[in-house]
Amino acid sequence: MVRARRLLAAVLLITSVGAGSYAYAGANYSTQELRLNGAGGVALDATIYLPKSAPAPAILLAHGFTGDKKSVAPQAQELAARGYVVLAWTARGFGNSTGQISMDSPTGEVADVSKLIDYLSTRKEVTQQQKGDPLVGIAGDSYGGAVSLLAAGYDQRIDAVAANITWNSLTQALFPQNANDPSFGPYKKFWAGTFFALATLPNSVAGECGTFTPDWCQAFKDAVANGVPTAADQKLLTASSPSTVTDRITAPTLLMQGEADSLFPLSESIKNASEIHAAHPSTPLAMIWHSGGHDGGTDESAKLHKSEMDWFDIYLKGAKKTFSKFQVTDTNGSISLVDSSVIPKFLTSTSLPLDVPTKSLQIPVPFTALIAPIGGIPGAISSLPGVGSALALAGSVSGATAAFLPGQSGFLETAALAAPIHIVGPSSIKLRISSNAKNATLFFSLVVRTASGQTKQPNGIVSPVHLSNISNSGTDFTVQLPAVVLDAATGDKLAVAVSTTDQGYALPQDGRQYALTVQSPLTISQMNFTTKVSHFSLYGWPALALIFILLAFAWSYFRRPRHNTLPVEESDALVTVSNLTKVYKDGYKAVDGLSFKVNRGQVLGLLGPNGAGKTTTLRMMMGLIFPTEGEIAINGQPIYPGSPTLANLGSFVEGSGFLPHLSGRENLELYWKSIGRSDEPYFEEAIKITDLGSALDKKVRSYSQGMRQRLAIAQSMLGMPDLLVLDEPTNGLDPQQIKAMREVLKSYAKTGRTVIVSSHLLAEVEQTCSHVVLMHRGHLITYGTMKKILTKAGKRAGSLEEIFIELIGDDLTIGKEQ
Amino acid sequence: MYTPGKTLPYRLELYRQIKRKRTLFSYIFVISLPVIVALAVKFGTSGNSSGPTRFGSGTADLIGLATKGAANFTSTMFYFATPFLLVAVISIFNGDTVASEASWSTLRYLLAAPVPRTRLLIQKLKVSLTLSFISIVLLITTSWVVGAIAFGTAPMQTPLGVTFGNVQATQRIVIIGFYLALVLLAVAGLAFYLSVSTDVPLGAVGGAIGIIILSNILDAISGLGAIRNWLPTHYSFSWFDALSSSIDWTQMIRGASYSLILFSVLISLAVIKFNKKDITS
Repeated sequence: MVRARRLLAAVLLITSVGAGSYAYAGANYSTQELRLNGAGGVALDATIYLPKSAPAPAILLAHGFTGDKKSVAPQAQELAARGYVVLAWTARGFGNSTGQISMDSPTGEVADVSKLIDYLSTRKEVTQQQKGDPLVGIAGDSYGGAVSLLAAGYDQRIDAVAANITWNSLTQALFPQNANDPSFGPYKKFWAGTFFALATLPNSVAGECGTFTPDWCQAFKDAVANGVPTAADQKLLTASSPSTVTDRITAPTLLMQGEADSLFPLSESIKNASEIHAAHPSTPLAMIWHSGGHDGGTDESAKLHKSEMDWFDIYLKGAKKTFSKFQVTDTNGSISLVDSSVIPKFLTSTSLPLDVPTKSLQIPVPFTALIAPIGGIPGAISSLPGVGSALALAGSVSGATAAFLPGQSGFLETAALAAPIHIVGPSSIKLRISSNAKNATLFFSLVVRTASGQTKQPNGIVSPVHLSNISNSGTDFTVQLPAVVLDAATGDKLAVAVSTTDQGYALPQDGRQYALTVQSPLTISQMNFTTKVSHFSLYGWPALALIFILLAFAWSYFRRPRHNTLPVEESDALVTVSNLTKVYKDGYKAVDGLSFKVNRGQVLGLLGPNGAGKTTTLRMMMGLIFPTEGEIAINGQPIYPGSPTLANLGSFVEGSGFLPHLSGRENLELYWKSIGRSDEPYFEEAIKITDLGSALDKKVRSYSQGMRQRLAIAQSMLGMPDLLVLDEPTNGLDPQQIKAMREVLKSYAKTGRTVIVSSHLLAEVEQTCSHVVLMHRGHLITYGTMKKILTKAGKRAGSLEEIFIELIGDDLTIGKEQ
Repeated sequence: MYTPGKTLPYRLELYRQIKRKRTLFSYIFVISLPVIVALAVKFGTSGNSSGPTRFGSGTADLIGLATKGAANFTSTMFYFATPFLLVAVISIFNGDTVASEASWSTLRYLLAAPVPRTRLLIQKLKVSLTLSFISIVLLITTSWVVGAIAFGTAPMQTPLGVTFGNVQATQRIVIIGFYLALVLLAVAGLAFYLSVSTDVPLGAVGGAIGIIILSNILDAISGLGAIRNWLPTHYSFSWFDALSSSIDWTQMIRGASYSLILFSVLISLAVIKFNKKDITS
């Protein structure tokens, strides 16, 4: 027991070492709390995580808007456990850092990053490439993602970047314009207001602007008041946009973007990627579109953190790893019915979605008309911060939805699809608008309309458009529809949905009428993906199943019981029992060294009190029980389960066995057929023995015990076997039937066949049997002709009990004791 | 003449089992599900099945979908039958087959006939699997017929909003039927193993159903994490993948393979056990 436990402990130790350093993450690094100098005298609250092995590459870990250094602690610990020095800091204007929020401006937050890199160059735990140039990567989500990209553009010392759910252009994110029109798009008031409030309310002691810089506070006020930025605001927005520096980024960059993100939609990552790629085609670039985002969606952060670590392993540690250029999580089309959770599919591609092949789809009815209500109320809800996709999902099932209000929305539909279609990326269409107003605010999306009338708008993402200077004869424009991951089935229609309202955006206050006509086919992107299915699940599992089936076959074959099938020595005896012993599993010795022979034509009585081992002996004779020692042979052939020589044996042991739902006759017929023999069953003779008459055609369920018994004896005689083995055959029979049974057995033996009858009643055996085997407690007491036994026991003995008393005293107790 | 290969022929064993009330009641049990659901939906109070669907908050409105037509009704019946009804019926057929012979004492006469022990198990397994497969076919055909009578033969529309024409719907239903047949082999194997292990038919059937219910409960505890992937019922609902516009086979391949693995292990355990067993019933 102790040894087994030690062995187990050793096994556990080995497996946990094999699982890597994760198990010991807690002990693998140390931390130091720091107060570091940012740009312009700002003090930054920071924590450095130092792994055991030094020097190591460093990772700067930036947090999201309203967070602080603690919000990235889990990821920092994971990276430190992987052997990176991690510097997590609280951005200026947040938490315990001083300074004011300037939205990742080059002179503010971005300059702070350079100061942090300066600090890292002084730490001996960090790998230094040159004096003042540490080996360093930077990672962050959203606000932290933008500062990562901007810093990589401004500070060439950064060696790898991983940016998640962030923006390319802050102007485009807050005033999205998806048409070729010089004006700003509608102000994304809901998101902007939410974020401004989140940052200012906790610092309300500092006034309405909280810790925002006065410039940014003014920009927010301008946007709320006018719906458009002033020239000064525009400068601020541009300065904080990675788009200004993407042509300078040469560090390997991993861009991750969420499909459920109406704040920074997938198109932001496409722009980042295409700008970086256009400026420096050799810059290693990879992109992941996951199912999360600012709207919620499905959290994949564990998987993303792993991807980020792989990215840094490759570009900071020089690890050899394969990293797919473009990975997409497809949540369409499979939702678990068990718990309604999304079962995602993972698609990979060897190319980025930059210059993808396109496909054109015609719009058969190229016209729609809509109105914009006065005051913009009621307004459609496509997605809202933190609620987003759930509403859209609820709306996807019923007909009218909050996303498409009647009269305010229209659908430009394709014909029903002849084949399923899979779209990953943006789409576009050229339209002409005419209106009673000079300008228009519209919200476009690419949706699937099913034959049953459902409308599915992927993640509730829309492309807002603002059109200025609409001429009287109408103005043409091309709209970039949202980049989406979408599946449509045969029979579905793709549609360009257009809505005049959206509660997330600033809207015109007067009522308008718009008419839209289609000027070009719908252009959709057609990328080739390989579903990220491991080969193991496609081929490995079936192969494994096949191996198991073969092994199972082999196993049951090799574990089959081996029987001695060699004939035993020639003997004229029909049955030879030699040294037969049976010890049951519980240690009970039922039969002990039993040997006797039965010749042809004999009627042998197997006698003994209850528990003498008679039935056990007979069961061994039938191949039902395995002898512990010794063996039985019939006709010189050994007996074992399935031994062919058993075909010469008819048996009735411990009561009848019939299918209760069938008649007596059917039971006999089926039994004969199940033996599978082709010789004569002597059916009529057997039926005569049953003496059942018309009851033979009734179900066995209705039989009395005596009737079943006679049927069972008839069954044992089917085919007239050489040897008949009967266990207490007269139990439950009335005197006439017992008498008839005796005659049956005697005449059976006269044909040269042999009968073995077990009984505990001498009187019965005396009249039938020619020979006797007397057993007690598994032992053979005596064996010989009936006459001899009776003589031995004395004339007075009339019962088996009396013979026993004569032969072995009154030791008739039955039990296990020996 | 005695020939081991001719003992207990398949058709004979099939006849022995089909004549049983148990078989009849099991099939009535299977048929009654679609009939009862159809009657309940057709003549019961309408409830809120025409109201807003609860897609985002929980499960899809399956009953609402079931009334769209025969194919939809059939797929909803699959959903209702997978966790218990088919498990119960398959446990009955495979769990009862050997144990009931033991309880009737017919087993010893068959073995002394002699029907070789491995052959007896194989013949019985062939028949119990045939009866199990018939129950799946019966579920599909009655669901379709009942659905067609009650709700017509409109195109199939899945909870995910995908619409299939009649040809495609038929293909998907056949795929689901075969997948269920494969994934339920694990249940069949378990019941059969228990059937060889006990002389009490109710014990084998009840034991198998009990273990499957336990497995379903454990599968619902998300805290168990990846351990649940190794539960025998973990993949029983993976046929749902066959309802999406393009079939993702990953889960179904895994589920069917895992079920085959469990089945082959359990059957060989049963054979080994039976070959060594002292028949004392």
